[in-house]
Amino acid sequence: MLDFLSIFKEAFTGSMESVFTIAKIVIPLMIVMEVLKDLNVLDKLSDFLKPISKILGISKESTFPLIIGLFLGLAYGAGVIIKSVKDGDLRKRDLYLLIIFLVACHSVIEDTLIFVAIGANGWLLLGFRIIIAVVLTSLVARHIDKILIKSNNEIKKEVKE
Amino acid sequence: MENQSVKTKTKSNGITIKTLKNGIKSGLNTTWTLAKIIVTVYFIITFVKYTPLLDWIAIKCAPLMKIFGLPGEAAIALVLGNVINLYAAIGAIASLSLTAKQSTIIAVMLSFSHSLFMESAVAKKTGISVVLVLLIRFSLAIISGILLNLIL
Repeated sequence: MLDFLSIFKEAFTGSMESVFTIAKIVIPLMIVMEVLKDLNVLDKLSDFLKPISKILGISKESTFPLIIGLFLGLAYGAGVIIKSVKDGDLRKRDLYLLIIFLVACHSVIEDTLIFVAIGANGWLLLGFRIIIAVVLTSLVARHIDKILIKSNNEIKKEVKE
Repeated sequence: MENQSVKTKTKSNGITIKTLKNGIKSGLNTTWTLAKIIVTVYFIITFVKYTPLLDWIAIKCAPLMKIFGLPGEAAIALVLGNVINLYAAIGAIASLSLTAKQSTIIAVMLSFSHSLFMESAVAKKTGISVVLVLLIRFSLAIISGILLNLIL
């Protein structure tokens, strides 16, 4: 029989460690975000990153969560996204595109280094992952408005029925 | 558009103690949101890890590995990576002797699709459907695995 208590202990300490790691990054990140916002730097930073948002077909407000997710990890990108959605800074269209990009491509530094350690070609891995994510996101960006209108209409229909 | 920029300008008064307070508050809120997901999923996965379920899935998936040019044993690495996380997969990969091509293929596949329970739960919190997330990740992993096996 499996030792229930030791598995429970492993899950408890492991999950607490993860939560602590998240807190250590998310709290300073949110403070920096507020500071950047109040200094109006976030707008300027978004302007600076505009070429990226243009290629991907996302709004310039989406570039900050994109960069955070790309380098720090999906959970941190999602953290910023959740906050932006709450503040009303992100449209549904951008939310979809951001998540599509980020689920395919996130924490690129850590993920790439892990695999280089086991003998994979890091440049090929990183390049392939980024190119595929960019192509996929920009393709969806071109068609997403139609899809969203369609699904909205379906929801309305369901409500009427 | 113009209206919005006027609004942000009037809202901003430079950095005050309120900036710091707001930052800490939203930091704690976000941490709490993520913590609830992480602790729940972590517990489930830790228990699943000690059942024969993962081995069983790996055995069923082994014949599929041929289309990616990987040995059947690589299935366990893919299953561990997708269910648990990349570090678990690395442990399994280290015990296989893969060629450089095979290592790159499995690395690309796993980098598109990994930690599915944890990351899908986090992605869902933003308001996106989990089915969509899984569909994208599986398709990217499978298609790139087949493609790289052919071109590398």
